[in-house]
Amino acid sequence: MADRSFDIARLPGFATIAVTIFVLLYLPIAMLVIFSFNAGDNVAIWEGFSLRWYPEAWANEAVKQATWRSLQIATCAAIIATTVATMAALGTTRRRQTRGQSFVYLMINQPLMVPEIVTAVALLIFFSSIKVATGYQGLGYLILAHAAFCIPFAYLPIRARLEGMDLSLETASADLYATRWQTFRHVTLPLVMPGAIAGLMLAFVTSLDDVVITLFVKSAGQDTLPTYMLAQIRRSVSAEVNAISTLLLLLTVVLLTAFFLLTRKRT
Amino acid sequence: MPEDTAVEVRDARKVYGQGAGAVTALDGVSLGIRKSEFFTLLGPSGCGKTTLLKLIAGFESPTTGQILLHGSDITFDPPNLRPVNTVFQSYALFPHLSVADNIGFGLKMQGRPKSEISETVTRMLALVRLDAMADRKPGQLSGGQQQRVALARALAPSPKVLLLDEPLSALDLQLRKEMQIELKRLQIETGITFVFVTHDQEEALTMSDRIGVMQSGHLLQVGDPRTIYTRPANRFVASFIGESNFLTGTVDGNVFTLDAGPRMEVGQTDGAPATGKVTAAIRPEQIRITSATLGDGIPATVTQTVYFGTDTHCRVALADGTEITVRLQSPASGDVGLHPGSEVTLKFEPGALILLPKAA
Amino acid sequence: MSADPQVTAAARRGWWLSAPALVLLAVGATGPLLIMLVYSFLEPGQYGNVEWALSFKAWFNVVMQRDIFDGTLTFADAHLSIFWRSAKLALLTTLFAFLTGFPTAWFIATRSPGLRTALLFLITIPFWTNLLIRTFAINQIIRNEGFLNTFLLWTGIIDTPIVMLYTDFAVFIGMTYVYLPLMVLPLFAAIDRFDMRLLQAGYDLYASRWQLLRHVIVPVVKPGIISGSILVFIPALGAYVTPRILGGGRNMMIGNFIELQFGQGRNWPLGAALSVVLLVVVSLALIVYTRFATGSEGKSHG
Repeated sequence: MADRSFDIARLPGFATIAVTIFVLLYLPIAMLVIFSFNAGDNVAIWEGFSLRWYPEAWANEAVKQATWRSLQIATCAAIIATTVATMAALGTTRRRQTRGQSFVYLMINQPLMVPEIVTAVALLIFFSSIKVATGYQGLGYLILAHAAFCIPFAYLPIRARLEGMDLSLETASADLYATRWQTFRHVTLPLVMPGAIAGLMLAFVTSLDDVVITLFVKSAGQDTLPTYMLAQIRRSVSAEVNAISTLLLLLTVVLLTAFFLLTRKRT
Repeated sequence: MPEDTAVEVRDARKVYGQGAGAVTALDGVSLGIRKSEFFTLLGPSGCGKTTLLKLIAGFESPTTGQILLHGSDITFDPPNLRPVNTVFQSYALFPHLSVADNIGFGLKMQGRPKSEISETVTRMLALVRLDAMADRKPGQLSGGQQQRVALARALAPSPKVLLLDEPLSALDLQLRKEMQIELKRLQIETGITFVFVTHDQEEALTMSDRIGVMQSGHLLQVGDPRTIYTRPANRFVASFIGESNFLTGTVDGNVFTLDAGPRMEVGQTDGAPATGKVTAAIRPEQIRITSATLGDGIPATVTQTVYFGTDTHCRVALADGTEITVRLQSPASGDVGLHPGSEVTLKFEPGALILLPKAA
Repeated sequence: MSADPQVTAAARRGWWLSAPALVLLAVGATGPLLIMLVYSFLEPGQYGNVEWALSFKAWFNVVMQRDIFDGTLTFADAHLSIFWRSAKLALLTTLFAFLTGFPTAWFIATRSPGLRTALLFLITIPFWTNLLIRTFAINQIIRNEGFLNTFLLWTGIIDTPIVMLYTDFAVFIGMTYVYLPLMVLPLFAAIDRFDMRLLQAGYDLYASRWQLLRHVIVPVVKPGIISGSILVFIPALGAYVTPRILGGGRNMMIGNFIELQFGQGRNWPLGAALSVVLLVVVSLALIVYTRFATGSEGKSHG
């Protein structure tokens, strides 16, 4: 290097460790994706390029149903979670701190603090008695459970957005003859929207990825894509799972990129 | 109440919080602002001027007291029902709306027809000279342009009173001077009552028809700029607006005897006691200084001279040790010829000495 | 007359707006935890579920067991070893994630703004990627006929596959892998706020790089270290998916053991009691964390 000036931020060995970590972080995922295009059934020996696992996975009726179910649950849960989280964010930000507010924060963040397995067990106990009492076995339980644990993920970007908002904008709107509803409709809502969309995407991804809570809450024959995959991984190793994983990965990356672009344009 | 009053504030008190932690922001303020005048509320931060503005705008209600607009009681009307608009310190332009939509916002909320809105917006854009910027977003404008959009937005619904909350504080000096002229022009052109809040005395003096000076929740003096400067009502006003030297002495009729010795005639004595101990104020630029130690005048000793370019400030000590400042115009050479230790005599016109009422 | 009617009205509106979220959370998260607590004091049903009869057996069984043949009381060794393994693996995971995560976070924070955003994004992707998929990816790498063993056999370094899958080591590696982003992100946030001029001051006062790391950097970014450690430790302690896929049936962690009570074990009260224990441990960790975090905040301001 030509520049021999003293780099104050350099700590010896840190760069090496960091680069190694980045490589190790992506290597397994890369291998997983690569072997989803393997012609053979082996996940370690490359036997040539092939797209056979994708149609094969899709031909599987169980995969199709699980995918459809996952999307249904994630869509419903994300919409519910984002709606209630937006309302809660409007109710909790930009006003004087009160004791009640700390309670609301605690409640909203609760799914982040309690281990998933504990929530899952609690829901199993709770829902199993309701299932017996009402006879209803549908997807409602899963949607309700997913919506609940998605709330903090939806809430955080919305709250960040609201906190970054100039309070005097709403005052200015009131000054300019807007009623409370007009202010919400023409000022607050358009400004919160990017946060709400970001929250919606995070909630969707979170719901789509869930294994543990789904596993405990689902009734028989209600496999989502992750629980189906978990069962497959235990049984045998087929590149079919690699193919499904690759598609799920792709979906996550697309949503995250959109989220990133959306939250960065916050000037 | 006189016919030409736009805003009348009757004994307004505003207390924040309760019990021991309560803070009194306004302590019984009464004030009448005339129609079509440029009225400035001047005072240091925390004096209550912004609180008073919020009471007029309707963002807050007074704890006790009344606010009247063109004769009708609006004390508890919400802001969206008051024909009063505000130019905010932070401008508060809606970032998601274009310049034109920002300006038309108030009219749209009032449900005015589209044609009227677009006609008014065009007129307003021309008024603030931003015709070319109609479709830009506020984020794409400079500070001065944003300021003008904020003005146009507040003027568009033709309010009875326009409130301006330190609108120039975010601008740099050059732009601030330009906007001062611009604001005055707009006020004259539109004929709307402007209520302007600032802590900058120069801004207040150059733009206002009348000024109200505030301190600690009290309105100390209301008057036109000249009166405020030449006849300050008390020591605070005298020192907050411009610089003042304070001299203590005894007054008897129109003869003032300085504690430091010399006696002199005084001009106005209104509000001050006719006899007894008083404080008098004198502006630094009203004092003349001569190096001769003869004749009448106040003998003094120079302690320090500070060169300011056009002016030279000269600190002098009187016989009893009172230090006062004299402002001299710097001569061409830049050297006033005075040095620490120089013996000098101070002189001034009788009218330059202002006797202040005793502090309550 | 009250001085703040506006504030009171705003607070009331705030409550109403929060109500739907609170109801949903009460039904879908918090409320069931209380029911679970009740269940831990009931008799297990013969085919799962419970008998509605008060019983402390589940709590007793958390740590003790009665021999089926002679009725003697002994410590429940199996349970204790599962607790111990869980705690050990979670702590090891936290420690190793810190040792690798800190240099990574430092590296990201000291790059140019553009590269920094890109690297941060690269850390965020795995964080949001399905945990199952990432664990499965590790599974494919370390299994006997997996990529790593195939590669080592091919190079001739080994001639029989190394057994890694279904060991504590596999669980440890897998958890470090999946939870690492949780360590890096808060560390990055803390280092990002770190005033690099402190380093100049340190070097100016004759500190070496390691002295700076020990006496300046680590103390200043301590809140980030604590956050990261908590964020890794809590899910690691309650991990279910990773030990299930990488640990196999014998190397259970507490999460898997809890599940067992609701499956083959058919002892719901015991499962509920174990869940309460896990919840209490996690809550204690969080309380200690809040104390620590707020305490050091206060100090840095003082």
